[in-house]
Amino acid sequence: MSEREATLLNRFTRIKRRRVHLAFALALGLIAVFLLDLSAGPAALGLGDIVRGLFDPGSLELRDRIILWDVRLPDALIALAVGAALGLAGVETQTILDNPLASPFTLGVSSAAVLGASVAIVLAPSIPAVPDHAILPALALLFALASGGFVLLVVRVSEGSRETVVLFGIALVFLCNALTAGFHMVAEAEAVQQIVFWTIGNLTKAGWAEVAMVFACVAVILPFSLRHVWLLTLLRGGEAHARSMGIDIARLRTMVILRSSVLAAFAVCFVGAIGFIGLVAPHLARLMFGEDHRLLVPGAALCGALVLSAASYLSKALVPGIIIPVGILTAVVGVPVLLLLLWRARRRA
Amino acid sequence: MTGRFSVSNLGARYGRAVVLHDVALPALRDGEMLGILGPNASGKSTLMRRLTGEMPGPGDILLDGRTQREHGREGWRRAVAAAPQTPPAPSALMPTELMWSTARALGLALSDAELAARIEGIFDELGLGAVALSPLATLSGGKRQLVGLALALVRNPTLLLLDEPTSALDLHWRLAVLDLVRRRLRAQGGLVVAALHDLDLAARYCDRLAVLHEGRVLAAGCPAEVLTPDLLARVYRVEAEVSADPEGRPVVRALRAIDPGKGD
Ligand SMILES: Nc1ncnc2c1ncn2[C@@H]1O[C@H](COP(=O)(O)OP(=O)(O)O)[C@@H](O)[C@H]1O
Ligand SMILES: [Mg+2]
Repeated sequence: MSEREATLLNRFTRIKRRRVHLAFALALGLIAVFLLDLSAGPAALGLGDIVRGLFDPGSLELRDRIILWDVRLPDALIALAVGAALGLAGVETQTILDNPLASPFTLGVSSAAVLGASVAIVLAPSIPAVPDHAILPALALLFALASGGFVLLVVRVSEGSRETVVLFGIALVFLCNALTAGFHMVAEAEAVQQIVFWTIGNLTKAGWAEVAMVFACVAVILPFSLRHVWLLTLLRGGEAHARSMGIDIARLRTMVILRSSVLAAFAVCFVGAIGFIGLVAPHLARLMFGEDHRLLVPGAALCGALVLSAASYLSKALVPGIIIPVGILTAVVGVPVLLLLLWRARRRA
Repeated sequence: MTGRFSVSNLGARYGRAVVLHDVALPALRDGEMLGILGPNASGKSTLMRRLTGEMPGPGDILLDGRTQREHGREGWRRAVAAAPQTPPAPSALMPTELMWSTARALGLALSDAELAARIEGIFDELGLGAVALSPLATLSGGKRQLVGLALALVRNPTLLLLDEPTSALDLHWRLAVLDLVRRRLRAQGGLVVAALHDLDLAARYCDRLAVLHEGRVLAAGCPAEVLTPDLLARVYRVEAEVSADPEGRPVVRALRAIDPGKGD
């Protein structure tokens, strides 16, 4: 092999290696933020106690053990799982729709979930075989999945047209919001407050079962996403090229939207419509990993987990003694970050 | 050996609009290049999309004795590669990443080192070495068009399809690209079908020409037979002079537009 030939591979490998190092740094950062999140809260449990209690639960007093294992760990873990799910769903949606502002939420998943939650709160229906406390997440999940189903139907009917899908998603958002507003009209003040609280999103209601479900959802879907990383990368070269290679774009689009709808539905049904993670995490990941989806896809999941975990920490640490709903923080922090990223992207283009 | 590649009775439609009618192309022998001529909207790109297999429709496409269907999706993908008219999108992706992901997504059986060597060789020939690791968004339209060609070449196809491969290129690269394509045909055989805008380039580089007009082939054959003042008047609505260069290939000089105000 000539020296020049070695050079391209070397230079390319060097870039890839730097990105892998970044991914490791990101993972380490995630662990640090996760521990920080665990250490924050009304009860005085220091970082040392936390680490000790994680490896040797018996070393903590009963009260501290319960706080750590039954309160803080589920909250902190669901932040990771929801963040990862939203980051993953966001990056795939953005690529498949070739739209940096897209996220599963822009396709209506979260608005539908809010509508489902409103139905549960206002009508308080009882569903056989579903315990009362599970009705709200169940309906939120059902509505979110149903909206994903509608979007998939449109993908099918429009033979995978991007514009149609995005427009339909926007229409779905408006429709769900209008119906939710209808529920506001007829609901008691307390129910409205509950709906609003749920809409903002907060992590403190999660238990181990919820954590397990969201993690399972991510664990089942991630391998399918990873199988598509080459296709998603080459799709960034434009649809015309992908089509000329005989790649079935409509099918790819269907699979991605199916995946991200399910991810987003599971992510929001327990913790509410936490905004901006699905939008910001992919952009952060792109800054670190570029457009090579081999790293971008897992990277966006890591970024989502990191951002939501950090937001969860801040929600407890910012005002001592008060837990700010985490959705407020993701929006307050997410909007400026997003504007900054878009501004940078524009300047570079 | 008779033709390796032939096309007959080919049709295509978008919804209810039929844009290709009974298209037959001159048969190609190994090492030959066919130029598809025709004004805008005559159906050149649609023909290319039929040949890549991305668009369904009636017709017989034969490559090495087997139809497109008999080759199967995978077989066709291995044998045929196209550079579409639209160059790669100006994303943050680097040309090398795009080449790499294309090769891997299509399952080319090459080691990393072999693939890198092939990519580097193609980039060198196309003058893309300096931008191999720059975001596509920072490349000029011409460079991106060259990346599009590189994407087809990296697959080393039997049948290479080029849709207006030189439309965004400057004079040097227009000739250099077509020289490269001819060199490749001479060195390793294969077949090329290229939709071309420039009549003189088509006459100079192609062994066969077919002229599309409103989705039909109006003339087909060797360049000297096809490029006549009569045909240019009919298809392009220009009055033109056709002379021959020292090697006997036609050279077209368009003189004036015929009835610019009136439709055909
Ligand atoms: N995606 C499409 N949908 C509908 N009509 C199309 C589409 N692409 C091309 N056409 C129509 O098909 C005809 C042939 O177009 P095309 O193959 O792009 O011609 P050319 O490449 O020769 O300019 C034109 O009338 C064009 O308007
Ligand atoms: Mg065209």
